[in-house]
Amino acid sequence: MSRVPFYLKERLGTLRERVLREEWEASKLPSWERLVLTWAVLMAFWVVVSGSFIINNLALGALVTLIIAAFMRDLLTEDIRRSGNIIEKLLYFAFIYLPQYLVIMAFRLLESNLKVAKNVIFMDINPGIVKIKTDLHSDTGLTILANSITLTPGTLTLDVKKKLDETYLYVHWIDLETLNREKAGEKIKGDIEEWLKKVFW
Amino acid sequence: MIDVILMLFGEAVMFFGALGILRFPDVYTRLHAATKCDTGGAMSIILALILIMDAPGVVRAKFLVLAFLIAMINPMVSHAIARGAYKYGVKPKVVVDMYAWDNP
Repeated sequence: MSRVPFYLKERLGTLRERVLREEWEASKLPSWERLVLTWAVLMAFWVVVSGSFIINNLALGALVTLIIAAFMRDLLTEDIRRSGNIIEKLLYFAFIYLPQYLVIMAFRLLESNLKVAKNVIFMDINPGIVKIKTDLHSDTGLTILANSITLTPGTLTLDVKKKLDETYLYVHWIDLETLNREKAGEKIKGDIEEWLKKVFW
Repeated sequence: MIDVILMLFGEAVMFFGALGILRFPDVYTRLHAATKCDTGGAMSIILALILIMDAPGVVRAKFLVLAFLIAMINPMVSHAIARGAYKYGVKPKVVVDMYAWDNP
């Protein structure tokens, strides 16, 4: 691989990435698993919001959420990456990935609150708008990444732009540290993108 | 004990958010203060309310749903306001503006 000229190497890299993405696009979740996942989420929401465990209420909720899930099964679960067994993946998600994400985001929210309080008191701001590149492609993953960037200390997402095969985020940074795209991306995204790439593509 | 700490922390953070809206120079930096302080303050006040009140578990789960909705909707609305303000023509007071480089 080291003998290949650098322009060919770059071209090969983009080609391999594209093949990988086509494979992911071909291997989404099967349709009945999407239906069952959407049904479970909607049913949990129904039970929590209605707040009663009478059998009539549960039967009505199951019927209505089944009808809605049959229509809307692609809305929430189209972007989830398939790998291995669905039960194993659900257990991994519920007991490892989700608590990890919640703990990371809770500490970042605490840190960002303290940082805003510090900025308000001392007014030591140096704002700027930078452009960073992400490896995510799906709409759900991008939405969660942009929301997480808004809640991390000192950054606010302005716009998302998709060009051909790459996705760019414009971020308003209240305390500008670097203009280099890779360093800025590493500082802003942190390990949230690594976490999201395991679940969404 | 821990609920009193959470409640006081939430109120202090909300106070600093309001102060930031008054003191920061332009729209985007004011949105920083509004979004982060409102999300953190409201979530910690909701956690304190869950701990304080004596109610069945379903009602507390409703409060958790409320916290989840706040954490999802609040950044989205701030993103919409910032993008709308930029498209409307409000110039940010910044050192470097890469968004204006790409959209002349």
